[in-house]
Amino acid sequence: MFRFLKALGLFTAVALGAAASPVLAAGDLLVAPTRVILDGSRGTEVVLNNIGSEPATYRISLEIKRMTAEGGLDEIAEENVTPAERAALDMIAFSPRRVTLPPNQPQVVRVGVRLPEGTPPGEYRAHMLFRSVPDTAPASAEPKPAGEGVSIALTPIYGITIPVIVRVGDLGADATIGEAWVSDTQDGPAFNFDLARSGNRSVYGDIEVTRPGVPEPLLVARGIAVYPEVSARKVSLRVPGELAAKLKGPVRIRYSEDREIGGGTIDEAARVVK
Amino acid sequence: MRNFGMKRALLGAAIAALAMNASAAHAASASGTATAKILRQITLAKTSDLQYATIISGATASTVGVSTAGAVSCGANLTCTGTTTAANFNVQGTNGAVVLVGGDSSVTLNGSLGGTMSSTLTYSAPNITLSATGGSFQVGGTLSVGANQASGDYSGTFNVTANYQ
Repeated sequence: MFRFLKALGLFTAVALGAAASPVLAAGDLLVAPTRVILDGSRGTEVVLNNIGSEPATYRISLEIKRMTAEGGLDEIAEENVTPAERAALDMIAFSPRRVTLPPNQPQVVRVGVRLPEGTPPGEYRAHMLFRSVPDTAPASAEPKPAGEGVSIALTPIYGITIPVIVRVGDLGADATIGEAWVSDTQDGPAFNFDLARSGNRSVYGDIEVTRPGVPEPLLVARGIAVYPEVSARKVSLRVPGELAAKLKGPVRIRYSEDREIGGGTIDEAARVVK
Repeated sequence: MRNFGMKRALLGAAIAALAMNASAAHAASASGTATAKILRQITLAKTSDLQYATIISGATASTVGVSTAGAVSCGANLTCTGTTTAANFNVQGTNGAVVLVGGDSSVTLNGSLGGTMSSTLTYSAPNITLSATGGSFQVGGTLSVGANQASGDYSGTFNVTANYQ
């Protein structure tokens, strides 16, 4: 029964997504859930769905990404990974690795962990990439005769990554909210603050910015992580101009755990936004 | 709930037995946490390609830029015709979720009659915060056109990803 409801919910979400944007290209995709945590023994499953209007082939792979101090994720080539990152790639098992799906056809990807004897305690992480494999190079029906200029066809190969995190042993971590300020970036105004981390695992949660005396939060940003490879990161969120102006002044910033694990406060701080 | 928990444990055991070492199955335990998570989703859909349209090259090297808003800037000595667009991707997911977006910073294009060109790629933002209706990001670029660039159809592929943290 529950599984049926689960499937129905997923289906409804897909149907809504399809209705909202009618022009869907081959290779469009849905992935659920958006984050996987494994305790070192138990497996789970991730659903991939073809939400495009054409059949499409998807490739599923693991990559190493490292968080930067700016809060981005750098892709690391396989030959440059550390032993711990190598261990993460080796211990996460998944299947299938390649699948062709007709439109609106979901596929379950099974994910499990294979922990070698004596794996040191710690948090191991790789990012699972779901990517559409493009059709063979776009056929240029009739090559242009010389002297008629050049035409360009750039095909994006696009996909979604979600973190797969394996925790071994008893791990803990804490986070501290630092200074907050509003800045102008080349992409428009942004609300920024520093987030420091301590301990031997990542922290993950939601940010809520409120003004004392105002019930509605000014800003909510969900799914902000600080990974163990950095001890601090900047969180920089693009905001509309009027919100940027409103954010200046005294605020409370709350960093809380995911609602699904109770939403407990990780850190809360009063700051004056410059 | 208990029944579901049992199923979950059995599923975990099945997976462990299927692909991994069977002893792991003993540690399988039930948890309600994962059940809600499976409904949290992200979708990524492309609604337009990065198009430089048609370019007639000149006697000196030059560049053609397409901004992330899709506007063209046609370099000196070049003739640009046709409609240019930036690539656009729509992302949907949990309201308020922050999604990191990005991809290759350059791409090489191969001509149907020989010759290559390269293009830098620019992204409208390093991350987007999804609203109730989702969000979007765009990819523009600057194409380097050689002096008397060999004519033909040039094609290339580049990688773009939307990343959950």
